[in-house]
Amino acid sequence: MKIEDLNTGEKITWCPGCTNFGILSGVKQAITNLVNNNKVDLNKIVGVSGVGCYDKIYDYLNLNFFHTLHGRTLPTLFGIKIGNPELTVIGFGGDGATYAEGIAHLVHSCRYNINATFMVFNNQIFSLTTGQATPASEKGLVSPSTPLGIGEKPVNPLALSLINGASFVARSFALDIPHLTKVIEEAITHKGFSFIDILQPCISYHNTTQFLREHVYKLEKVNHNSSNYEDAMKKSLEWDYCYSENSKIPIGIFYKVKKPTYRRQWPQIRTWHRFKRKPDFRKIVEEYKG
Amino acid sequence: MEKQILIGGAAGQGIAKTALLIGKIFTNSGYYVFNYRDYPSLIKGGHNFNILKVSDKPVNSHENFYDMIISLNQDTIDKHREKLNKRGFVLGDKNLKARNLIELDISKVLEETGTPKKFGIDVLIGAFFKILGLPIENVLKVVEEVFKKKTDIIEKLIRRGYTSVEQKIELPEPNEKNKYFMTGNEAISSGAIASSLDIYFAYPITPATPVLHILASKQIENDFMVVQPENEIAIINAALGASYAGAISMVGTSGLGFSLMAEAISLQGISEVPLVLYLGQRTSPANGVPTYTSQGDLKFAVNAGHGEFPRVVVAPGDSKECFYRTIETFYLAYKYRVISIILGDKHVGESNYSFDEFEEPKIKPSNFITTPSEEYKSYSITENGVSPRAVPGENAKVRASSYEHNELGYTTEKEDLIVKMNDKRLRKMDFIKEEINKLKPVSVYGEGKNLIVGWGSTKGAIIDSLKKLENFRFLQISYICPFPTEIVKREIENSNEIILIENNVTGLLGDIIAEQTGKIIEKKILKYNARPLTSEEIVMKVEKVLK
Repeated sequence: MKIEDLNTGEKITWCPGCTNFGILSGVKQAITNLVNNNKVDLNKIVGVSGVGCYDKIYDYLNLNFFHTLHGRTLPTLFGIKIGNPELTVIGFGGDGATYAEGIAHLVHSCRYNINATFMVFNNQIFSLTTGQATPASEKGLVSPSTPLGIGEKPVNPLALSLINGASFVARSFALDIPHLTKVIEEAITHKGFSFIDILQPCISYHNTTQFLREHVYKLEKVNHNSSNYEDAMKKSLEWDYCYSENSKIPIGIFYKVKKPTYRRQWPQIRTWHRFKRKPDFRKIVEEYKG
Repeated sequence: MEKQILIGGAAGQGIAKTALLIGKIFTNSGYYVFNYRDYPSLIKGGHNFNILKVSDKPVNSHENFYDMIISLNQDTIDKHREKLNKRGFVLGDKNLKARNLIELDISKVLEETGTPKKFGIDVLIGAFFKILGLPIENVLKVVEEVFKKKTDIIEKLIRRGYTSVEQKIELPEPNEKNKYFMTGNEAISSGAIASSLDIYFAYPITPATPVLHILASKQIENDFMVVQPENEIAIINAALGASYAGAISMVGTSGLGFSLMAEAISLQGISEVPLVLYLGQRTSPANGVPTYTSQGDLKFAVNAGHGEFPRVVVAPGDSKECFYRTIETFYLAYKYRVISIILGDKHVGESNYSFDEFEEPKIKPSNFITTPSEEYKSYSITENGVSPRAVPGENAKVRASSYEHNELGYTTEKEDLIVKMNDKRLRKMDFIKEEINKLKPVSVYGEGKNLIVGWGSTKGAIIDSLKKLENFRFLQISYICPFPTEIVKREIENSNEIILIENNVTGLLGDIIAEQTGKIIEKKILKYNARPLTSEEIVMKVEKVLK
């Protein structure tokens, strides 16, 4: 296939210069590479998105797609995966949707170790609603909804997903498309719940571009052992999502291990719509005969 | 002839199980039984009781007076003695204090047989059936079936009880053998399995929990799946995901969970991903009275979810109806890509009803999935509003959207498309209405110029009250959405006195009837003490409202 096959022809309404274009291009490239290397079947890919600026990716990717509610990408993704385990499911979330509205779903998706990929476009701000703070915003952020500044530190999504059992945990950067593409490919081919937090500066409401460019470094350059839980946890805590001059921000695959997926518990899971079941009505009600 | 039996004790003493066993023994012997269950929200202690109405003729409800009380503690006698008929009696241990006590020396029997205290109830069961003159073989046969394993001890204790008392009541010969004995929750579960359910999603909540337990216990044998995700929000969104992917999906809950699901019900409306939802009402608002009954969520079931979109709401009135209505909800949901809500409550869900036969359902299960062409459009605009259902993974791209969309499913804000898509979705309702007209959306019982109007679990008590009311028919409205306007209007117009009976505070069905038919029912019998109506109560209140 060609990368253009993923275009939909729909008009892209992100701000001109939005860093989401970088993610869109990484996603397209990763899917194209995987399809061309026979790692996934294009027809069997399903995208899932919720609500936020990122959700518009629904209109820009020519895939099977379920555009669900704000914060509800993960339960929908879970349902799709148990509804037809043959599908390759890729979920998209924002930091507001994932770390505020739907954070319970993130915790449990990690626990279930659903065999699916989930990436968060983390710009640390509610952009589509014009720039309010999210639980991912740095401490002290002044925004229209928090004019006195936020008093709390942001959630650490990597540590959170690690401690709750995700078997693939990564961070990438929207402005490093080759890196992002590679991480997405690894995530999709990983068997288990693959979580990627993508640092995605919002050029309109939370422009961290310069800072991130200066402070990001790649885990592959420091011989990080991604199969070691303690090392992964330690690295996940290295940056607190706040902006101090000595911040060091690792990107790459923090953790990747083989673990039984949710499906292991359910011998009866199958591609249901192809399953020809013939319920025997008499047999079903017989046990209630006095 | 009818006999009313109350069995009571503390939670954990096995009251519900014993009532069920007694009911099964009677239905196995050919009698009709209605079994009402009353229990507070606690695990051990408190006061649990069941009321069984037993008859050689069909019975549909219980009464609040008793011919006999089987008592496991003094508390039961103290709470219910006023409702014991003058010639009625109490069966219990010799330590209990009651008028007309048939004493058993349970401790002595247990001591002599060397059995633990919890088996005392079996002595009572034996004695009970001797008093009613049922052959011991009938009793032991069902006991063996129910316990499945070795029942030597139980059998011995039942025999001891049986031989320790005299027969006091002569029951009439039953008409036939073997009745079905089933709760609404069992019937809903069975209807779902008969509809070829693939995945059931639920979170524990009274009174819908039994469906979760029943289906979970049958998933391997019947090749489907039962999942309990983290909360009701996850449940309904996952169910929509699974349905989109091709699985026949269903969720079950009660009022609080249903509130959490409201947002995704709206998502169902616009995404047109089919779904069946069981809403078992309990006493609201909020936590209300958790283990008791009410019909307070009728308008919420009809209106939950922001925006305007089609839906099906059907309220079965007994367990047999629960079975067939559940099958109908699957058919309508998956054929028309709508949400179908089975609206039950604690009373219909947890009471056992008895009946003679099950007829084979006319509706055969289908997921209504089509094989898409390459030009497939997820939201094609069609004459009946139904866009053919396809699932991802085949040739075409299948889209489902929470935003307004064009036929391919891409987001739109265009004026004409918004109108077209709303019209397409709402048009389905006209076709569903034609369908439900073939599904007996209302039932009329009895004959007379006067009319009782009701819905859901009040059905049994109202039907039983007709025997004692002169010149009354009962109009049971099963389909609430779409509403069978013409039939209801005609029935109201053809009646002299019209009385609305509901198990809620304000008469919610009355509001819906007024909205749909323009007819206002002035006379109302409304009960909202969290307990179901009885036929005796209805007869008394009908006389009162007619004065």
